Amino acid sequence: MKIVLTAKGEDWSCKMDERFGRAEIFVCYNEETNELSSISNIGVDTMEHGAGLQTAQKVLDLSPDVIITGNGAGNKALAILQKSNVKVYIGAGNMTLKEAYEAYKNNKLQLQF
Amino acid sequence: MREIVVVSGKGGTGKTSLSAAFSYLEGDNAIVCDCDVDAANMHLLLDASFSNQRDFFSGEVALIDKELCTNCGKCADVCRFDAISIADGQHVVDPISCEGCHYCSKVCKKDAIEMKTQKAGDIYTSDIKNETKMVHAKLGFGAENSGKLVAKVKQDAKLLALQKNKAYVITDGSPGIGCPVISSLSGANLVVLVTEATISGLHDLERVIKLVKTFNLKAVCIINKYDLNEEMTNSIEKFLKTEEIDVVGKLPYDETFTKALAMAQTIVEYDSNSKLAINIKNSWEKIKESVS
Repeated sequence: MKIVLTAKGEDWSCKMDERFGRAEIFVCYNEETNELSSISNIGVDTMEHGAGLQTAQKVLDLSPDVIITGNGAGNKALAILQKSNVKVYIGAGNMTLKEAYEAYKNNKLQLQF
Repeated sequence: MREIVVVSGKGGTGKTSLSAAFSYLEGDNAIVCDCDVDAANMHLLLDASFSNQRDFFSGEVALIDKELCTNCGKCADVCRFDAISIADGQHVVDPISCEGCHYCSKVCKKDAIEMKTQKAGDIYTSDIKNETKMVHAKLGFGAENSGKLVAKVKQDAKLLALQKNKAYVITDGSPGIGCPVISSLSGANLVVLVTEATISGLHDLERVIKLVKTFNLKAVCIINKYDLNEEMTNSIEKFLKTEEIDVVGKLPYDETFTKALAMAQTIVEYDSNSKLAINIKNSWEKIKESVS
C-alpha cells in the first residue's frame, strides 16, 4: 500500500497539515518497501485560486492507495479524487504523521469517501 | 490554541460586528484575524494601528520589452481580455485588463513578453484597542481577495497565537462560499455561522453549511435580527436541527448595531450593560464551550 499524508514536515515526528489543497508537503509512505519520501507542494502557495484541483492532480501522480489528511478535500478536488480508486481518510489534522498512520492502521480515522 | 472562524454565507448579517465584539470580549487572550479582505472593515471597529507592513504579491501581469518587440501584433490577436493596445506605434499591456494568463508571452516569437509578479496589497500585524494584535490586509486597486491571501493572513495569525501562547484565534471570514471562504475555513476548530431571518439568509446559510460539512467541521449558529420574520426564524431553526447545528444566540433587530458602528465601537463596549451586549456575551461563552 502506498499512503500519502498531508504534512508540515518530512519525517514521522512532524505535524500533519490539516489542509488538503494548500497542504505544505506530501509525505509518501510505501508499506511494502518501508520507504518514506516527500514532495513539496510548492507552487500552490503562489496560486490565488484553484489550489485544490492542482493538488489533487499532483497527489494522483504519486498513485497512492490511501490519502490521510485533516479536514478533507474540497468539492472540486474530491470530484477528481473520486475518479480514481484512492481512499481518503480524514480527521488527522492535529496529529503527527506517526500518530496519523497508526490511527489509520487502527481504523480510528473517518473515510471521506 | 483554538481557531474560531466566523462566516455568514450572506453578506450584511452582522458577521463582522459580532466577530469584533467577540474579539473585544476576549481581549489579549486571542489574536484577531480579518480574512474578509475584499471589504475589510474590522480595523475600524478595533482601531488597528496598521503596523508591521509586509508586501503581498499575487498574480502576474505581462510586460512587453520594447527593445525586443517587433510589433508583429500576435500578442494583441490572442489576448482574450483586450489588454494589449497600440500607443505611438508600440504594443503595450494595460495592467488593469491583463489577467496574467501567459497566452501572449507563449506566442511571442521574440520572447519579448515577460510575466511579472504583481504586488496586490499589504498585510499588517496591528496593535488593536483591547491590548492584543490583529492580522489583516489591504488590497491595491483592482486586486481581489483570494484563497492565497486568506491562507497567508491566517498563517501569520496562527503563528503569532502560538508564539504568544494565546488561547484563541478569532477569524472574520468572508461572505459567500468561494475560494476565500474555503481557505478561511481550513484548519478551523469551530465555525460560527451568522445568519439573519430572511429568505436569502436561510438560502445562503444552506449553501455555507454544505461547504462546512464537506470539511467535517463543527459549527454553531447565531440568528441575527430574528424578530424581523419569526416564521423565517422557525424555518432556520428547523433546518439547523436537521443539520445538528446548535443555535448559540438569537439577537433581535437593534439599531444599537448602527449606533456603535458610527462611534467606531464594538456593540459590547458601546453599551456593555445593554440587553443586546449581554446576549452577545452569552453567545460568546457558549461558543467557547463548544470549542473547548
